[in-house]
Amino acid sequence: MRKMIVAAAFAAALALTGAASAEEIVFTSWGGTTQDAQKAAWADAFTKKTGVKVLEDGPTDYGKIKAMVESGNVSWDVVDAEGDYAVQAGGNGMLEKLDFNVIDKSKLDPRFVTPYSVGSFYYSFVIACNADAVNGKCPKTWADLFDTKKFPGKRTFYKWSAPGVIEAALLADGVKPKDLYPLDLDRAFKKLDTIKNDIVWWGTGAQSQQLLASQEAPYGSFWNGRVDLLKRSGVNAVMSWDQNITAADELVVPKGTKHRDLAMKFIALATSAKPQAEMAAAAGYAPINKDSAALMDKSARAMLPEEHTATQVNADMNYWAAHRDEIAKRWYAWQTK
Amino acid sequence: MAQTVYSAAGSDIAQSAPQVKPKRQPNGFPAVVPALVLIVLFFVVPITALLVRSVLDPKPGLGNYAQLLGSWTYARVFANTFEVAALVTILSVAIGFPVAWMLAIMPRRWGAVIFAILLLSMWTNLLARTYAWMVLLQRTGPINKLLIYLGLIDHPLAMVNDLTGVTIGMTYIMLPFIILPLQGVIKNIDPAILQAAALCGANRWKCLTRILIPLALPGVAAGALMVFVMSLGYFVTPALLGGTSNMMLAELIAQLVQSLVNWGLGGAAAFVLLIVTLAIYALQLRLFGAGRLSHGGQ
Repeated sequence: MRKMIVAAAFAAALALTGAASAEEIVFTSWGGTTQDAQKAAWADAFTKKTGVKVLEDGPTDYGKIKAMVESGNVSWDVVDAEGDYAVQAGGNGMLEKLDFNVIDKSKLDPRFVTPYSVGSFYYSFVIACNADAVNGKCPKTWADLFDTKKFPGKRTFYKWSAPGVIEAALLADGVKPKDLYPLDLDRAFKKLDTIKNDIVWWGTGAQSQQLLASQEAPYGSFWNGRVDLLKRSGVNAVMSWDQNITAADELVVPKGTKHRDLAMKFIALATSAKPQAEMAAAAGYAPINKDSAALMDKSARAMLPEEHTATQVNADMNYWAAHRDEIAKRWYAWQTK
Repeated sequence: MAQTVYSAAGSDIAQSAPQVKPKRQPNGFPAVVPALVLIVLFFVVPITALLVRSVLDPKPGLGNYAQLLGSWTYARVFANTFEVAALVTILSVAIGFPVAWMLAIMPRRWGAVIFAILLLSMWTNLLARTYAWMVLLQRTGPINKLLIYLGLIDHPLAMVNDLTGVTIGMTYIMLPFIILPLQGVIKNIDPAILQAAALCGANRWKCLTRILIPLALPGVAAGALMVFVMSLGYFVTPALLGGTSNMMLAELIAQLVQSLVNWGLGGAAAFVLLIVTLAIYALQLRLFGAGRLSHGGQ
C-alpha cells in the first residue's frame, strides 16, 4: 500500500514537471511586494489574454543566469534585473536580443531601452527621514545627509555596489550633476569615509523600511516607493526629492530560453500602458511607459519621480555597465575595511 | 549501534558468537549505498565542479587563489570569519556547559521541559529567530528601552549591525548544538566517581576541574567542533545582524556568485573554506579520536 502511494506521488510529480514544458513561462523577480504587484498586473493579465501560465520564481540571481546560459539549460524566461547588470550582461552574450516588432518601444521611456532590455519600472533614490525621531529636523539635501554635525545619528544607505550611493556622495561633496560622470571614485570614497561609522546598510527594501520605521536609522537614502508605502502605513516619514537619483530595473530574457516568442509577448504586455500603471500604483515605483501616468489617479501620480524632474539626476547605466566590476571591487573592499 | 546490541544481548550470546555474529553485525555496506549515492551526486560532484571552475574560470591557472589569498580585503573577511566563529564557540561552551550539566542532573520531568524549550527554539524558523533578535537588539528595541528605563544607560547601546549582534544571534542559535551532545556525555559519567572523589577529600571546585570537566572534555570538543564549523559557513544571521565591516566568508561567496557573477573566485573561496573545515576536523580526530567522538566519550 505504502509503495503504491509512493509510486503514485512519484508519477504525479513526473506529470507535473512534464507539464512545465508545455505552455508555461517562468518569470523571475525579487520577491516581496514588488513581485506581488508584477504578478497581479502582468502575469495574471498575460495568462488571461493568452492562456499561457506564468510561473513565479525568485529572487533574481546573476550567478544562476550565467550557470543556466552556459549549461544550455535555461529555466527562466523573463527576468527582472538591475539596469547596470542588464547592459553589461547584454554585452557579454548572456541575453537574447529583444524583438521590437513584438514590443512597442515607441511609447517607452528611451532612458531605459537597450537592444537587450527594456525598463521594468524605475525609481529614485530620495532622502527620507522619520520626523518623529528628530523632532521634524529633517535633512533636505545630500550635503545635509552627509553632515553628521547638523544631523547626528545613524543614516542608512543601499548596501550593494549599484548606482545611487556613490552619486549621492559626490553630489554631497559639491559635484555638479552634469560633471558626475565619469565618477571620481577617490573623491566619493573620501566623502563616504567621513560618515562611515554612522552608516547602517540596508540590503533589501523591506529592511530599509524597518530601519526607518523603528528609528534605528532616523534618516537615509531610500527607494521612493518604499518611503511612500511607509507613509501610507502611518509612519511620519518625510521625503526630499532634491537631486533625486533615478535608476531602473530592466526586463531581460536569458540567452537560450525555450520560450523566446512567449517571453517577448510577455514583455510587450508588461511594458504596455495599463499593466505598467497598475504595477506602479501598487508598488509605488514609476512606470516606464509614457502613456501610463495618464491612467493613474492624482495621488498616486504625485508620488512618481517624474513629478520631480526639476532637480532630478539620472544615474548613467552605460557608465555603470562598463565599470560595474571595477567599482564593485573597490566598493566591497571599502565596506569591509 | 553494535555496542548497544552487545551489551543488551549479554555475555553468553557473545560467547556463541561464531554463528550469531553475521546476523548481529551484518555487513553494513548495502544499507549505506543510498546515502553514498546521494552524497556523491549532490555533494561530491557539485563541489568538484566548483573546484574545477575555480582553476578554469575566467582563465586556467591559480589566478583566483592568488587573488583570494593575496588581497587584504579577502584576508579581512577570512579573519572576521574565524573571529566570529571562535567567539561564538567560546561563548556557546561557556553558556552551554552549565546548562548541559543541569540537564544531566535535574529530575527527569524538569529536564524534559528544558529539553522541549531547547528543541522548540531549534525547530523555529531560523529567519524568524534572526529577525526577532534584530527587533530586540535595535536602538529602539525593548532591551535598550529597558536599560534606559532602569537608568543603567543614557544613550541606546549599539548591539546590532555589528560584531555584537552577530555574536549574540549566532551564539543563541548554536547553543542547542553544544548542549545536546554535552548533556549526553555528562549523563554517562558515573556519579560514583564524583562521590569517590568527595570521599577522598576533593572539594566541589576540585571535583569540577579534576573530574567532571576532564571526563566531559570529549563532549565539549565534539560540540565545540560542530559549533565552530557550522559558524564558519553561516550566512543568514551574519547577513542580517552584522555590518559590512564584519562580513563573513559565506556572505562573500554569495556576493561573488550572485551579484558579481564571479564563479571562479567564489568557487575558490568555497574551496578554501572546505579545506579549512576538513583540516579542523582532522585535527580533532587526531586529538580525540573518531570513536570517542561518535560515542560521546564512552
